[in-house]
Amino acid sequence: MELTVTKNATCTFCGCVCDDIELHSDGERIKETKGACILGQSWFKNHTAERLYPAALVNGREATVDEAVEAAAEFLHAADMPLVYGLSNVTCEATREAVSLAELVGAVIDSHTSL
Amino acid sequence: MSCTLGEVKNRADLIIYWGGNPAECHPRHFTKYTIMQKGKYVPNGRKGRTMVLVDIRETPSAKAADIFLQVRPGKDFEVLTLLRAIVKGQRIDPRAAAETGLTLEQLTDLADRMKRAKFGVLFFGMGLSMTRGKHMNSAAALTLAAELNAFTKFVAMPMRGHGNVTGADVVLRYTTGYPFGINLCRGYPRFNPGEFSSVDLLVRGDVDATLVLGADPGATMPQPAIDHLARTPTIVLDPKVTHTSRLARVHITTAATGITAPGTVYRMDEVPLPLRPPLKGPYPSDEEVLRRIIAAVRKKPAWEPDPAGVMAG
Repeated sequence: MELTVTKNATCTFCGCVCDDIELHSDGERIKETKGACILGQSWFKNHTAERLYPAALVNGREATVDEAVEAAAEFLHAADMPLVYGLSNVTCEATREAVSLAELVGAVIDSHTSL
Repeated sequence: MSCTLGEVKNRADLIIYWGGNPAECHPRHFTKYTIMQKGKYVPNGRKGRTMVLVDIRETPSAKAADIFLQVRPGKDFEVLTLLRAIVKGQRIDPRAAAETGLTLEQLTDLADRMKRAKFGVLFFGMGLSMTRGKHMNSAAALTLAAELNAFTKFVAMPMRGHGNVTGADVVLRYTTGYPFGINLCRGYPRFNPGEFSSVDLLVRGDVDATLVLGADPGATMPQPAIDHLARTPTIVLDPKVTHTSRLARVHITTAATGITAPGTVYRMDEVPLPLRPPLKGPYPSDEEVLRRIIAAVRKKPAWEPDPAGVMAG
């Protein structure tokens, strides 16, 4: 089968953020990771494009993303002092949105750095 | 006082790793950026550089080191403070040195090497910043590096663990003015580590809802913090159903950063790099889901800080 080659792919497993990895993928899985270290290999091969998990869960039951977004907004809006936590493996673009949301609901925003 | 990893590669002739194990945690750090490469001003590569490892135990990284210094656990602050004194030429009581697990000769030798280096770099890991002394240790390491600039060029850089934790610091800094632990509940940013750090807030039970993204506190935080996450509404955005998702009220599956989601991440030296995701997945990105949550919150009555402060009513 023809594999798609992605050159100079960026690995986000550790803080080195190596950006010289060559990935070969079949559209669903990454088959080969040239230049990646042992941690990078398992990082890339551990994620697929398959639908392995439900789109969303609300109170443990499967739900649509719309329902889950509505429930999330309700909880965050109702809270007196919400917390936005993590941000360690999301993009900077997502972090910017997280800051906007934190400001909107009057939250504390914090990352792994504080641990 | 820091620099990029490219400067380390091209200039550093003394490389110190303190409280970290790059051989196992950052496997390409040695080969790509620090000790193995030939650099513009280090033409002999490995032969032109000295690598010192300071840790409480002999990790696999010690094999790559020219000098391994085994410090007694919890004595990093004392070692750093002694080094600062030696660098300044102050007299040291050998008994103070002996308490750290190192000899005065070892400390004096390291201080001499640091002063003689053309370009020195001190990489410090969680073995320094997360053990007894915590940010006091980091502060001592940064102060030592700063003071060495009276003699030569010397920089310090934290060995950041997770992918874009550096990016989180950078974005929070340029949006709020502070790097982490920022409280916006009065409508303006306030920074106070210890008071507004997640673990402390959760253990004390100060927060009444939590949005978790790009983290799995249900697997990593102390039990009282996890209990509070289970007791109050928790919302998780993650590419997988995590430990935290199982105790959360809401979980939304999102695209994996760099695998199915594009964007920007920061390397540990604060160089921003674009992602080139090789796959197209079925899930929306964190960014998109956050935008939708923001839109849903905006439809509700506006929240305004109470002029009397959060303690009122």
